[in-house]
Parts: sequence; C-alpha cells; structure tokens
Amino acid sequence: MRRITRLAPLALVAALALTSCSASAASEEPITESSEASISYAVWDENQVPALEANIAAFNEIYPNIEVKIDITPWAQYWTKLQTQASGGTLPDVFWMNGPNFQLYAANDQLEPMTNLIDAGDVDPANYVEVLNELYSYDDVQYGMPKDFDTVALWYNKAILAEAGVATPDDTWTWDDFHTAAKTVSDTLADQGVYGVATGLTGGQEGYYNTILQAGGFVLSDDGTTSGYDDPKTIRGLQFWADLIADGSSPSLQQLSDTPHNAWFTSSKTAFFWSGTWSVSELAAASNTLDLNVAPLPQDEKQATVIHGVANVVSANSPNKSAAQAFQAYLGGEEAQTLQAEMGAANPAFIGAGQAFLDSVDHFDLQVFIDEADNYAYPFPVSKDTAAWSTIENELLPQAFSGARTVEDVAGELATRMNEALAKE
Amino acid sequence: MTLRTGSMVGESRAPAAHPVPVAAPKAPKARPKGFDGYWPWLFVLPTLFGVLGFYIWPIIQTGYLSFTETGPFGGEEFIGVDNYQTMLADGNVGQALTNTLVYTIIVLAGIPIALLMANLVNQPGLRFASFYRVLFFMPYIAMPTAVALVWRMIYNGDFGILNWMLSLVGIDGPYWTSTPGFAIVSVGIVGMWASLGFGIIILGAALKNISPEYYEAAQLDGATRWKQFTAITVPLVTPSLFFVTIISVINGFQLFDLLYAIMGQYNPALVQSQSLVYIFYNQAFIQNDKGYAAAIGMLILVVIGIVTFFQFRMQKKWVNYV
Amino acid sequence: MSKESFSPAQQGANSVRTHLVLGIIGFIMVFPFLWQLIISLSTNDQVMSVPPTFWPGDLQWGNFVDVFTKLPFFDQFGVSVGITVIRVIGQVVLCSMAGYAFARMRFRGRGIFLGVILSILMVPPQVYLIPQFQIIQNLGLLNTILGIALPGIFSAFGVFLMRQIFLGLPLELEEAARLDGANPFQIFYKIMLPLATPGISALVIITTLWSWNDLLWPLVVTTYAEKMPLSAGLATLAGSITTDYPVMMAASVLAMAPVLILFIALQRRVVDGLAFSGSK
Repeated sequence: MRRITRLAPLALVAALALTSCSASAASEEPITESSEASISYAVWDENQVPALEANIAAFNEIYPNIEVKIDITPWAQYWTKLQTQASGGTLPDVFWMNGPNFQLYAANDQLEPMTNLIDAGDVDPANYVEVLNELYSYDDVQYGMPKDFDTVALWYNKAILAEAGVATPDDTWTWDDFHTAAKTVSDTLADQGVYGVATGLTGGQEGYYNTILQAGGFVLSDDGTTSGYDDPKTIRGLQFWADLIADGSSPSLQQLSDTPHNAWFTSSKTAFFWSGTWSVSELAAASNTLDLNVAPLPQDEKQATVIHGVANVVSANSPNKSAAQAFQAYLGGEEAQTLQAEMGAANPAFIGAGQAFLDSVDHFDLQVFIDEADNYAYPFPVSKDTAAWSTIENELLPQAFSGARTVEDVAGELATRMNEALAKE
Repeated sequence: MTLRTGSMVGESRAPAAHPVPVAAPKAPKARPKGFDGYWPWLFVLPTLFGVLGFYIWPIIQTGYLSFTETGPFGGEEFIGVDNYQTMLADGNVGQALTNTLVYTIIVLAGIPIALLMANLVNQPGLRFASFYRVLFFMPYIAMPTAVALVWRMIYNGDFGILNWMLSLVGIDGPYWTSTPGFAIVSVGIVGMWASLGFGIIILGAALKNISPEYYEAAQLDGATRWKQFTAITVPLVTPSLFFVTIISVINGFQLFDLLYAIMGQYNPALVQSQSLVYIFYNQAFIQNDKGYAAAIGMLILVVIGIVTFFQFRMQKKWVNYV
Repeated sequence: MSKESFSPAQQGANSVRTHLVLGIIGFIMVFPFLWQLIISLSTNDQVMSVPPTFWPGDLQWGNFVDVFTKLPFFDQFGVSVGITVIRVIGQVVLCSMAGYAFARMRFRGRGIFLGVILSILMVPPQVYLIPQFQIIQNLGLLNTILGIALPGIFSAFGVFLMRQIFLGLPLELEEAARLDGANPFQIFYKIMLPLATPGISALVIITTLWSWNDLLWPLVVTTYAEKMPLSAGLATLAGSITTDYPVMMAASVLAMAPVLILFIALQRRVVDGLAFSGSK
C-alpha cells in the first residue's frame, strides 16, 4: 500500500500528507498537545493493568489525541512474541524491558535512545536510582526509562514462627541465625508439613544471586567478560542453599517444582520466603496476609541484595516515535510513578515517589525495600547475551542444590561453560 | 470405507486368520485414458498456492537458515554444516530424541488399549453405549493448556490426589513430574489419556463394519472370544490401526505444549526430560540461536519423514485392505 | 437395538463385568474434568490441603465471576467463533476440492504435489512461526480475525483425510454422470460431495477442536486482549495469576464448555463422522 502512494503523482502525495497522519511524517514533527497518533504498549503483568490504564488516562489529559492501547501477553510467551515482532520489524511502540534482555535489543538497534529526551530536559536521570540507569544503558547511551525497582527481602510468617518458638528476624540476623531458625521450624512443625523456607531457585534473583553477593562473590565480572562461578566466595553463596535443602530446612527442588515457592508461603506451609518487591500485591491479597511481614535479608560477609527493575523502552522502528517517546517520558515522570505506587502496582523507580508504595499496605514494613536500595543494592548481572549463560545456570545448578553433585564440581563446570558463552558475545 | 459389510456376507469363514496382503488401492483405472485437462488444477491450485506460500516457503527458509549463523533479529551468514556438527556433538539432542521416542511409544501403547475398549463399547446391544463414548472422547476435546493444569495438580507430589491415593495403600509416591525418568513417562501417560478417546472412536467405527456373520461362523467352530478378537477383529481393522498409528507417531514426535505445560519452568528434571521441539523452541526463542534451531527443525522433519516412510513401506506386511 | 439382540455376539454384552470395566475406564477418562470442576468451586486453601478436599462444601461461584471481570470473555468468545468459522469453511471447500482431485483426477505431478503437501505435516508449527508471522504482517493482517485464521484454512491433514474419503467412494455414479455429459466440477459438486458428507463432518469437528484450542499462533499475531481468542486469553490469565488455582480452573472450564456442549449435542453425528476418517 505504502509503495503505491510513493509512486503516485506528487500532488496526490502532498494531498495524502495533509489529510492522513502518515507515520513517517508524524515522527519528524515535534509533539504537541494536538498531535494525533495511536501507539501500542506491550506489558506482561495483568495485575498492573488497572494502574497503567490510570496512567494512560492522565497522559490523555495532556495529549488527548494520542491513543495508547495496552497489549498484555503472558510472561511465558512475552519474549517469544517480541522476538517474532522484532524479526518482522513491528515491535510495539512502547514496551516493558527487563535487564537480562535489554542489551540484546539495544546492541541490535531495536531500541530508540533516550538521548533527545534527556537533552531536552524531559527526563532527568538523576531522579532515578543510579543502578537502574546503568542497567538500561548500553555503550553509555540510555535507552530505558526506569519504571520500578525490586530489591529482595526476607518475608516471614509471624504465626508460624511463634508456634515454632522462633524469634522474628531483624537486621542483625546472620546466615547462621537464619539457618537455625529455618531448621527449627522444619523440625518443630514437621507433622503439619511445614518447612522453614521456600525460595525460587530457578534464576538467581530471589535466592542465590543475593547470597553470592553477601558472601563477597560475584556472578559476572564488572566488565562483563568473566564468570565468577569458580570464585570460592561465589561457591559459598551457592552452598548456603544446598545446605538448607540437604537438612530439610527447605522443601526439595522437586517439591518447589510441583508447588511453586510462593504457593508454599501463601498457604502457610513455610515460615520464610525470600522474595522481592513484586510480591507485595500478591502477599497483600493472600488469605494469611495479616500473619506476614518483611525484614532485611540475613548477612554473611556483608549485607547485600540484587536490584532490578522493569523499564519502558521505545522501538527504534516505531512509526509514531515522537508520540511513543512522549508517553515513555510521561511514564517516567513523578506523577505517573506516584500513581502507580498509590495503586500498589509497583515500587516506583522515581526517587521519593515511593512513599505511596510504602503506605499501600499498612501491615508490611515496606521501608525495608527502600533502605536496601539506598544502602546495599547491587546490579542484577547482565551481559549482551544473558540468555546464553542463564540457561546454563538453570541446567547445571539444580544438580548442586539437590545434592546430586558437589557445589564445587557444578560451579566449576558452570564457570567454564559460562566463560565460553561470554567469549562468543 | 473399504471394509464394506456387503462384500463379506456369505463367506463362511473369516479369511483374516491368514490374511493375504493386498496393496493399497491405486488410482481408479476405469477412467478414459489421458489427463483431465485443466480441471484438476482448478481444484488443486488454491490449496497448492496456500500450502506453498504459508508452509513450504517457510520450511525452505528454515532449511536455508540451518546452514547459517543468525543474528538475534535477522541477518545471517552462511557457515555450511557447522550447525549440524554442533548438533551431532550435543548430548541434549540425543537425550531429547530418546525422550521423544519414549513419549511416542507410550502414546502408541494406548492404541491396543483403545482397540480393546472399542471392542467392548461396540458390542451390539450394549446399554449406555453413547454415554460411554462421550466419556471416552472428552479428553480429546479438552484444551491442552487446561488439561495440563489439572494433571499438574493431580501429579503434585505433596498435595496431589494421586500420591494421596497411593499413600492409602502404603505406597510413597514419587514426585511424578520432577523426577528424571518419571517425568517423561508421566507426560506420556497424559498424552495417552488425551488420545485414547480418538483411537476408540476411530477403531470403533471400523469394528461396526465387520459383518456379524464372521463371529457367528467362528462361534460355530468353537472359537473363544479371545480367539475371535485376535483372528477376526484385529486383522479386519488394520487399515484404521494404520491410520491411527501414523497420526499418533506424527503427533508424538511434535511433543512440546504438553511437556512445557505439565513440567513448568522451575523443574529440576527439565534438562533430562526435554523433547526435540522443546530444544528447538529453547534455541530459537530463548537463546536466540535461530540457525542452530533451524538445524534441529530439519532433524525433526527428517526423523518424522523417515519413520513415516517406513510405516508406509511396512504397511503391506500387516495392513489388510479388502 | 432389540432387533439386534438376537445376534449371538451380543451374549454377555451387558454383563456386570463389561459395565464395570467400561465404567472404571470411563471414570478415569473424565476424572480430570471432575477434579477441575471441584477445584474451580473451592478456595485456594482447600486446594493445598492434605488429604484432598473432595467436596468444597461452600461452593465458590465467585471464581467464575472473577473470570468475567479479568477477561474480555465475550469479545474473545466472538474471536474464537470467528476464526473457527473461517477455518472450517475454508478447509471444507479447499480440502474437499484438492482431496477429490488427488483421489480421482489425473494430472501431471499428482504424486509429487501430494507428497509436498503431506510433508508439511511433519514439521512442528513452531518452526514456521516467524516466517508465517512476517507473511501475515506483510499482508497487513495483524490483529485481524482473518490474519489469525488465514494460514489455518490450508491443511495438509484435511487434504489427506478428504483424499482417503473420496478414494473409498464407489466409482459407478461418477462414470454414469460423466456419460451424461457432466463436467468434472458438476460431478464433484452434485454427486461426490453429498456422498462425502460423513467425512466432511469429521473434518469440521477436527478443525473446530484444533482451531478452538490453538494458542501460540493467535497470541503472536494479536496484540490486544479483545482481539485474542479465548485460548490465548486463558493463557494470559493463567500467566498472571500464579497461585490462584481455583480461578484458573474456572477459566478453563468456561473456555472448554462451548465445545463440550456442542459435542454432546452432536454426539452421534460427530462419532459417525470421525469414525469415517479412520478408514485407511
């Protein structure tokens, strides 16, 4: 269709340009309050849609003629769909991005830099947690507008701890304190099928990335070229989980596969649950929510948590780039992020907008998450092709956690294969 | 239907006890010589264009990609047979091929069960026959994602009803879907369950077309019911058995959705339990290595092609077309 | 029935043993559905209890209400019906024509073309996902019912099925019509097609079930919830609530219900139709 209009007589082209909102023409024009466009916004979390719709409604008060349509795809198919769309050059105008996938899209010219927004003063990176700006920059160019952030903390069930005679955790807890408490719960309440702790061990964000940092180890070197899995401190961070499973403080990997870790916790079958900010809305809605609260993670050599957050990015091939960027900038603004926090959708990345999030659930000490971010949060490890080595983690680490092989043995193989994958980037 | 009742009436003894292999019917010969002019093209071209455009062309592209190294979002470089060499050295591919075979064999093992059940449900005069048929056919119409969710809960090692029932008789059931070895078998049982109804219906229809006179004659000769089943029933439904087998093998080799949905993403047994299509999916969409994925896609095509080819060659040995 | 009851083969057909075996297997076949129904009416805590809760007592009909609030159920139902109708009509027309030609007509390259068409059965659909997406995108059909349905109106399985069915039909009528001067299309349309009705109903059923349950393809070519079919909507719901099993089960019960009702209503025709597809 478009090819035909290009071949048409000039007069017709001119007429079309005047009457239609031709995509390429619109993107050249600066965005104004009367700009017309229709843009798509792809996300994966159905739970956040009400807050996003509220964002869009507020955005439309400024730009009434820019229509934003939300495209929800379940997490299981989200990246498959983006891949397919990217291969066809039809990525959504604006979409959610995460750390592990960011560099892949940025390095392959799929994302629009935010340089013009920052230069024009529409976005000030200083308003956001610095680690998140770095996470979404590639070759010193920022592409992603931080939307929210997640740190990991120690959720616990007061009722179970009281029943087992264990004190509630606080910021002085060491690994030993934690392990003893978890073991006590498992031993005391074994007849009820209650365990000490359940944590997701597929992917490191909830569990082993944190303990690796706490032990002083690392997953990926700062320059992103070397694996840290053969470092003794990293191995210590992995051993922590293998030990918890080995003495029954935690359900086995098989039990965690059959019944997901969050289900154990929301049905009062475990006392502890390592999880992030994203669990707040789920735990606030759980039937046992009044028994639950949150504390800082236990420490080893030091206190540490990984920090990660979702960002809004704009497709480099978007036919409505200026409208899409206007929306991207709006989503990063204090107003939009405060609204998200008020609706309990996410913990905003905009520094200071988080108060509403803290207030969203009275009976949780959510300040814990903010304090962690301010004091001892470390970036989520990513490289240009994160999937290549995170697949290897998921393939090998279960053998270590289940006790089928020693942690040293598995970690050594993992380091070798991860270094091979990194060398290919 | 070639098993027409009429053609057998009056024969006193089932000829099927020692079946004479008959070749599949060739194209009709009672037809004026030569070709049908342009008419066939009118009938075939719409489908041919659609199939070429929407399926064959993508397959050819995949074939080409299998000889390239691809960028994550397109752009490729010709690298010859490197992807195939990688594939031969990849232990996961061999494991996946084995798993896929195990799954397919379990599903195929459902076919004799389906035949026995079809035989039971098609006895003349059986009450509630159509009720039973609805029951048997229900798994086939269910949405696979929904089916997988239910089975996941039934198989759940801690809270599932299966292990609870086993515990009543003193058996400590395993974690069905997360123990290597058990997992692929558990998925296979669901696959068998889901396809059993289809086999029962198709084989049942073939049974209806067997003349009762065969059985009457056999009874006069004093044949037992089991003897009747093996000597009359089985040989006469071989064309339908062949059809069900072909479809089951093709579907079995394409195992993906069921495995993915039942095992979930947090499964420690996943590596030991993946199927060929699972590896394809992982390489193409998780690891972004579309060139290598294409090579695995080609492997799947070749394996199914070879197996199907041999099934067609073998059919003369056991399939009786009347 | 009563007429047939003289048949000696019927002896023992209604024995207790027969009904016991059929009843047990039948129960195993439907058990997952019953279990699904029970879970959909339970609370989350009951689902996670040991021993299992066989009857939730206080039925949680609210789980079904939740589905309607969480999904644009009626929009998605409409899309499901739309794509299914297009695919069924397309396959019936195209596959019966092509199947007839491959069974009864003579033309150069017949065997090769049939082989080419059948070869696509052997490639898993994930393999051609991206190329097909690009074709639909170039046709400008993303987010349309036609775009979801289009590749699915061409079916190798359907062509194969219809070819087998036409091969099984008697030749005589066709020859007579030919002598009367009917052209090949008239023979096909007026004589052979009516004879193939049971086979066509089999094709209709198989295509309906496949189309209704199709997931990955619709999810990839649609971007908005109200443009998705129910199967994709259900997956979206299941993906967003990881632990609320009852609502998930309620959603899948609702998604399955229309086809199930259709199936029970058409039971006899469906069974006879499907049965036909089993012939060689």
